[in-house]
Amino acid sequence: MAHYLQLSLTGLGAGAVVAVLAIGLVLTFRASNVVNLAHAAMGTYIAYVYYGLRNFNVASTQKGGNLVLPVFGVPGVVHLIDRPTVVTALAIALVVAALVGALVYLLVFRALRNAPPLARLVASLGLFLYLQAVMELRAHDIGAGAATLPLTSLLPNGVVRLGSVVVPTASFVLAGLAVTVAVVLGAVFRYTRFGLSTRAAAESEKGAILIGVSPDRVGLLNWIIASVLAGGAMIFVAGITSQLNPTQSSLLVVPALAAALLARLDSFAMATFAGLAIGVTQSGVATFQSQAAWLPSWLPNDGLRQALPVLLILVAITIRGAHLPTRASLVDSRLPVAPVPRRPWLWIPLLSGAAVVALYTLDAQWRLAIVVSVIAALIALSCVVVTGYVGQISLALYAFAGLAAFATAKLELAGVGFPWAPLVAVILTVVVGILFGLPAVRVRGMTLAVATIAAAVAIEQLVFNSPALNGLSGVPNPQLFGSNLGFLAPGAANFRPAFGVVAVVVLAASMLAVANLRRSPTGLRWLAVRSNERAAAAAGINVGSTKLSAFAASSLFAGLGGALLAYELPALSPQQFLVVGALAVLALTYLGGIATLSGALIAGFLASGGVLTRIQGGAAADTTTQYALSGILLILVAAFYPDGLSMAVRRAITRLHSVWLRGVRSRGAT
Amino acid sequence: MNADSDEVTDRSIDATEPLLRLRGMSAGYGGVAVVHDLDLHVGAGEVVALLGANGAGKTTTLLTVSGLLQRLAGELTVLGVEPPMGGRFAREKVALALVRKGLAYVPEDRALFFGLSGREHLRLAARRGDGEAIELALEPFPALAAIIDRRAGLLSGGEQQMLAIARALATRPRLLLIDEMTLGLAPIIVEQLLPRVAATARSTGVGMLLVEQHVKAVLTVADRAYVMVQGRIATSGQASEMNADSQELAARYLGAIPDRHQAGPSVNLSESSSPEGTTPAERREDGGDASG
Repeated sequence: MAHYLQLSLTGLGAGAVVAVLAIGLVLTFRASNVVNLAHAAMGTYIAYVYYGLRNFNVASTQKGGNLVLPVFGVPGVVHLIDRPTVVTALAIALVVAALVGALVYLLVFRALRNAPPLARLVASLGLFLYLQAVMELRAHDIGAGAATLPLTSLLPNGVVRLGSVVVPTASFVLAGLAVTVAVVLGAVFRYTRFGLSTRAAAESEKGAILIGVSPDRVGLLNWIIASVLAGGAMIFVAGITSQLNPTQSSLLVVPALAAALLARLDSFAMATFAGLAIGVTQSGVATFQSQAAWLPSWLPNDGLRQALPVLLILVAITIRGAHLPTRASLVDSRLPVAPVPRRPWLWIPLLSGAAVVALYTLDAQWRLAIVVSVIAALIALSCVVVTGYVGQISLALYAFAGLAAFATAKLELAGVGFPWAPLVAVILTVVVGILFGLPAVRVRGMTLAVATIAAAVAIEQLVFNSPALNGLSGVPNPQLFGSNLGFLAPGAANFRPAFGVVAVVVLAASMLAVANLRRSPTGLRWLAVRSNERAAAAAGINVGSTKLSAFAASSLFAGLGGALLAYELPALSPQQFLVVGALAVLALTYLGGIATLSGALIAGFLASGGVLTRIQGGAAADTTTQYALSGILLILVAAFYPDGLSMAVRRAITRLHSVWLRGVRSRGAT
Repeated sequence: MNADSDEVTDRSIDATEPLLRLRGMSAGYGGVAVVHDLDLHVGAGEVVALLGANGAGKTTTLLTVSGLLQRLAGELTVLGVEPPMGGRFAREKVALALVRKGLAYVPEDRALFFGLSGREHLRLAARRGDGEAIELALEPFPALAAIIDRRAGLLSGGEQQMLAIARALATRPRLLLIDEMTLGLAPIIVEQLLPRVAATARSTGVGMLLVEQHVKAVLTVADRAYVMVQGRIATSGQASEMNADSQELAARYLGAIPDRHQAGPSVNLSESSSPEGTTPAERREDGGDASG
């Protein structure tokens, strides 16, 4: 028992970092209505700044003191001072953190203060992708070699003995710091004019302006505080893990989001408590898993530790039926336009025909690109249904696709034949999709988005990371009525067009189904629920079952995409279905047009390795730069074209059409 | 009509510039005007009512004056400031600048902070260290003072309305705009609230512009009134005279939705060409309209 206590208390340190991150999330949400997915990524960048300054060896000639810059196209580092002390480096890093917070607010989120929640989420996603890419590049510049930066701890090395329990002092120091931050901020928000202004602006921006409180200034100050807190937390993260990695560190935002949600994005005390509890539970669960011999062997090593606390919070949020405090803004935010598809029976078969012709005339690399795009479009289509039409932000879709892929491969390798293996896999995915849709009956908006990220993390940690699923290969080619529909073949015949035709047919059928659903009573119910759940319920719509129907439909399409992936990829590995991939799917679909059929097609076209990559000349030269660019593009689209590229094109066509009509009319008149 | 010469003569007539002046102002949403060519003014210590049927453009007018909406054309002078047109973040800046100049606006939705107590509302609204302003704001509402430490979300509709007005008063305004002060309030509260607020305005020299549906109630406390029909000012005059004629006023301007073809705004404008009791400047302008 003492052993468990010891390991649990050790977890206080990690918990403190989660707690401080959660506090920052609460701050930025209250100040500008943004659930900032890039919060931990911003902090990670600050940690890179700190270690760039401190990265020197007293014995060697290294001088350290290099300031890491977060911008492309300029030198990666600027030399500031020789061999700064800990205090100097910390001070510089935190000043940079304040600047970053101010810049992020002024350049990105100020313009989005009155944008729809989805646009804000997507913008923070863009920021996440951008910062991550920058850090990948900069890690080399500050002499870390690889992107993963080895760290030296800032914290005391000693231990505290409580009877037989030995706990590192650092854990207590960190926990104490987290609690102090929470108490101070709590007092500031309760008693000072600044705190009152922030709370007032969060309740009603209009009301704040009318008594001379500038929501803009309030937002700026809170972003600065949050950024400094995130920077501090990530610098101190060295006290627990001894490494900093752009992706892993940035994803610390997931447990922090869970803690912040438990605090209803409102209470600093609750966020701190939840953060610490997550740390302690994770530490305890890890010990438990390492000792419990009866646990099944397919369970991934780190699985329970990563997944359990997040899952517990998911359940807690669902049972409580949490809704975030809706933050009033000056302007009513508008939903993305969800047009009825025009003449789907004409253009979908035409496009499919063109794709089939291309498959049979172009070379192998093109065939691969087309199939990649088609499958990506299918997964994006699932996003259109659940997020575009019903307004439920789901980040678990990609995990569903992965589930279908693994299930198909497992069944095929177990000897189940072609139509049956994918069929069973897709049905399984739909069942799981409905199960994970159950929280959506009770929660909505950002809460649901975070709940689905948590679900995706749980699937990733508990299922995909299982040793039993690593490197599944040798899935037999599908056969139907004696003809080979497989994709892979030896030599020049590889990437067979027959499989491409299957993929195109599946996509076309799915798109026609969605087009019809959009026009059917079901589609109208979806849109009604999207615009106002209460009004929909008052009009006699069963909101719960309407949402579940959308989750079922969307996991069906994601499952179909996943089943195709099982045949398309030479080998399946968990790395292909990480949470970051899910974020990319949402991002691309949003770029294309989240509530339009053609948006899904554009997302497929843009997908990495798809047709666009092929047009650019095959293998993308520099994926890191591409990520950074797509991050910026995403922020721009969220700010200026919240309806996505497809609507921008459609509007341009409509405008040209009306100009043409006017021309015809004026000629007729003269 | 020669706008330049109008302006010159106008200044020479009005030695004291009114707190609020609209001259041929148009405003609306997304570049489409919904109120057209408004001429209106409010002086210090004056209580002015803005009447009209639903959709006449009263709220749009107040929003534009407050700076939360940009005007599309014409002149607007609020407390000596001419709000600029254009700019992405201009609205918020303009509104904030006007508040600092002494404009207070109680919007139709009250825009209260439901999580904050009444006292916190007033503390934020008052200038730093101006405790007296809080007492002053509570003076007309003894009932509110008793529940001032309660969260705004827990107050009844009438209490919320009082808090919204008290919050506006705590900023020590020089010009106070109130949109539908009596919306959803019991008639007995309406009877108490309107005279109290009007008395406060007169005693402190605050100019007030009231948008109201309770025509009779507001005309008994106001000095002057404007009537809007379909985005234009159809008539204006002394409140007491309009009140005496309120039956006809209601029948003519505030009753059933007027038929666009037969009782359009231009017809109404010509009918109002020589209303009795308007200020000299207005009479001249109206005459100009009729002759032009």
